[in-house]
Amino acid sequence: MFRKVLIANRGEIAVRIIRTLREMGIASVAVYSEADRTSLHVRMADEAVAVGPPPSSESYLRTDRILAAALDRGADAIHPGYGFLSENADFAAACQDAGLVFIGPSPDSIRKMGSKTAARQTAIAGGTPVVPGTEHSVTLEEARAFTASHGYPILLKAVAGGGGKGMRRVDRDADLESAFRNASSEARNSFRNAELYVERYIERPRHIEIQLLGDRQGHMIHLGERECSLQRRHQKVIEECPSPLLAVHPEMREAMGAAAIGAARAAGYYNAGTVEFLVDPERRFYFLEMNTRLQVEHPVTELVTGLDLVRLQIEIAAGAPLPLTQPEVSWRGAAIEARIYAEDPYNDFLPYPGTLTRLDRPMGPGIRLDGCVYDGWTVPMEYDPLLAKLAVWGATREQAIQRMIRALREYDVGGIRTNIGFFRQILEDEELRAGRLHTGFIEEFFARHQPPRPPADLAAVAALAASLHAASRASRAGTNGPSGGCDPAPARPSAWLNSGRNELLR
Amino acid sequence: MKFPLTINGAEDLVEILAPAPACRFRLGDGPERAADVRTPEPGVYSILLEGQSYDAWVEETPAGLVVVIDGYRFEIQVLDPRRWSRKSGGAGGEGTQSVIAPMPGKVVRVLVAPGDAVEPGQGLVVVEAMKMQNELRAGRAARVRTVSTTEGATVAAGEVLVTLE
Repeated sequence: MFRKVLIANRGEIAVRIIRTLREMGIASVAVYSEADRTSLHVRMADEAVAVGPPPSSESYLRTDRILAAALDRGADAIHPGYGFLSENADFAAACQDAGLVFIGPSPDSIRKMGSKTAARQTAIAGGTPVVPGTEHSVTLEEARAFTASHGYPILLKAVAGGGGKGMRRVDRDADLESAFRNASSEARNSFRNAELYVERYIERPRHIEIQLLGDRQGHMIHLGERECSLQRRHQKVIEECPSPLLAVHPEMREAMGAAAIGAARAAGYYNAGTVEFLVDPERRFYFLEMNTRLQVEHPVTELVTGLDLVRLQIEIAAGAPLPLTQPEVSWRGAAIEARIYAEDPYNDFLPYPGTLTRLDRPMGPGIRLDGCVYDGWTVPMEYDPLLAKLAVWGATREQAIQRMIRALREYDVGGIRTNIGFFRQILEDEELRAGRLHTGFIEEFFARHQPPRPPADLAAVAALAASLHAASRASRAGTNGPSGGCDPAPARPSAWLNSGRNELLR
Repeated sequence: MKFPLTINGAEDLVEILAPAPACRFRLGDGPERAADVRTPEPGVYSILLEGQSYDAWVEETPAGLVVVIDGYRFEIQVLDPRRWSRKSGGAGGEGTQSVIAPMPGKVVRVLVAPGDAVEPGQGLVVVEAMKMQNELRAGRAARVRTVSTTEGATVAAGEVLVTLE
């Protein structure tokens, strides 16, 4: 087993990995940018090495500095976390070349699942269903022939495309010719390549993914699904296991698990990985992509299976065989996770960096909190504003949701704004409670949602608290202004909050 | 002691008849009420009102006080009774209007200068944080009175950037 592991990451995932390393008796080495000197992962690690200025391109993405830090500190292995260098095949190869173990799959597997087209070919080779479409560019007549066998709606996509350019949804034959012409000319203008291909358009899909685990001896198992249909701007915000759909159709878990293993085997995969599927309203599922790393939402799977995925990743990387077989995997109860972000739900969810002036964390039965925040910490402006992942376990989905709402009511983060209140509103939504999820759910929720009116006395209590606070502030300031408040009870001064923020704004 | 205030934009009046902990108060024209008030932590008010227990979390921000109770959020400005007047105009009204930074960030562009006439929806200042840009726009036709920031400046949430009249 390794004696020392370097974590090539920051924030909550670095803290998460350090916790398991400590449980395993393995020393941890953190890396940090200048913006993260006082971040929790640096404080918690056994050793820490500075790797550059705040921008990640000059620090957390600097392969050379991270490898030098690992060699200098005598680490045996590198855990990449998620994001940053975690799906960079060249980095995985560079680790090997430097004599370090990369805790993840082989560089070749990462490449085979790296681009959309490469991943699609790998999945087809593994016998995994993909969204029906043409493998190559088509003429207008070939596009029409595709609709004759697959029907409408379809999606025309630029072969060289990206970012929605040269993409058209077509619902009926009468629109096909003009849509084809327009998409083609848009593709030519954007990418100097007018070629288009065709995919069937999946309406109101669910996003359901399968967690895989494989060892270097060739064994592979799946740990069930996570439903991640609740997304905003293509970013997952709530994940759960079991999927409400698969809870009603348990045979789908086996079918999707087998399909995911097929795709991963075609890439020669080992270590932890996740295969993402789209599921259409007729419950047909299609390979979307494979994430060749630990997922943000892995705690959901850990809560229902009782496994520690980071420990298993480390053991597999050290050469150990899987400690369990597929029939030994069991799922108990329901788990749900909410991603707590520093963002302002009252202002279009814009990021809201700043200094925490108060922190009350939820506690009690069934709560798991993976975070990187502490009272007084300043959320840096340079990185993803994920503060914590609040995950709960309950005997049933309904109990897990009730528990999550209870936990959110206990959670207070002062000084910055967060999406905590938004989660409570969406978890009280009847459609969500009924499990009728799809990837456009949150947009539809905002369109139909009426913000709840607070109970009658709450405004009176708020007004009273504000008046007493203003009175105590005035008496503290030594003015002959209003008095009659209670004992001095200063909230932390905003000047301090501002200077903390301003220090980071460079 | 009377505290005129706005709560989520609506005007109200709190009259404190007896101080904490055995607090008596009146809200607007309502009846006199009694509340037991303690401050177990800085900025936290534990209030027992007619047998109900409330934990009110008060935070001072540049734009005023934010009070959170049981997940519900109230933005409250307590006005100084000596300077309080009903002449100050709200959004869309007459008089001076302040455009404030909605989040902490960096000013990447200033699009207007004092004296400029602006149309409703016209961009005034662009503020950036975490690589997202947010353009602040005029709410109504107006003339720019002051511009109190410059390109490259860092701003706090609630800081006044531009005033319109």
